[in-house]
Amino acid sequence: MNLQIEAMGDVTFVEPAGRLDFDAATGFQEALERTLGGAGKPPAAVIIDGTRLDYVSSAGLRAFLLAARSAQRAGIVFALCALQPAVREVFELSGFSRIIPVHADRASALAQAQQGRT
Amino acid sequence: MTARRAAVPADAAQLSVLNQFLRDFGSAVALDAAQVQTFELALEEIFLNIVMHGAQPGSTPLVEVSLDRAAESVTMTVEDDGPQFDPLSLPPPDVTASLAGRPVGGLGVFLVRNMMDTISYARVAGRNQLRMSKRLGG
Repeated sequence: MNLQIEAMGDVTFVEPAGRLDFDAATGFQEALERTLGGAGKPPAAVIIDGTRLDYVSSAGLRAFLLAARSAQRAGIVFALCALQPAVREVFELSGFSRIIPVHADRASALAQAQQGRT
Repeated sequence: MTARRAAVPADAAQLSVLNQFLRDFGSAVALDAAQVQTFELALEEIFLNIVMHGAQPGSTPLVEVSLDRAAESVTMTVEDDGPQFDPLSLPPPDVTASLAGRPVGGLGVFLVRNMMDTISYARVAGRNQLRMSKRLGG
């Protein structure tokens, strides 16, 4: 799967494209851990933009869960936004939308992340 | 009714073969992308369960997948000749647990049960047989 990682100030946006299945999950999780660790100063927030994410299986959910835990330990805000309907359904059925914040779009995710810091 | 069948060894590397099989079936019987994706998810979860539970030293189970399109529904049957294992006997995960308390596994079968309209397990002639179906439309 392709990943676009974009730092805007102290917020890092990660935009995965394609399928987050068993084959892609490990690489995705490693990329998230690197992003959370930061090269130098870690970000204040990591926001996953799901605009181009077509598919998530339980292996993909596991990657999100482990990354969300790492973020929590490091005091980094971790959130999702702009999920496609099929992916959103998987997050809702699994109860993950209750433990990882899901926002409508980047702007509202960013607003929430900034609010969390003030 | 249109039916197709594929057989692969229970090896995670075969997942892409099964996905292609599913997509070909989807185009042949005119399923939309969302319907194909529901079955892709179910097949990934069920197949990987067999890969994890079915392997024994020196033997890899054979997994057979058949797809049937009826007027109002699609039925997928997944059979394997591995040790007896009923995925529906797994306890459901606690989907209300906190971030820290969430177990990292056990979600796959739960998702499949929730996305399909019917699902049943049988042990038939030394094979595990999991049959699931979903209504189309609506």
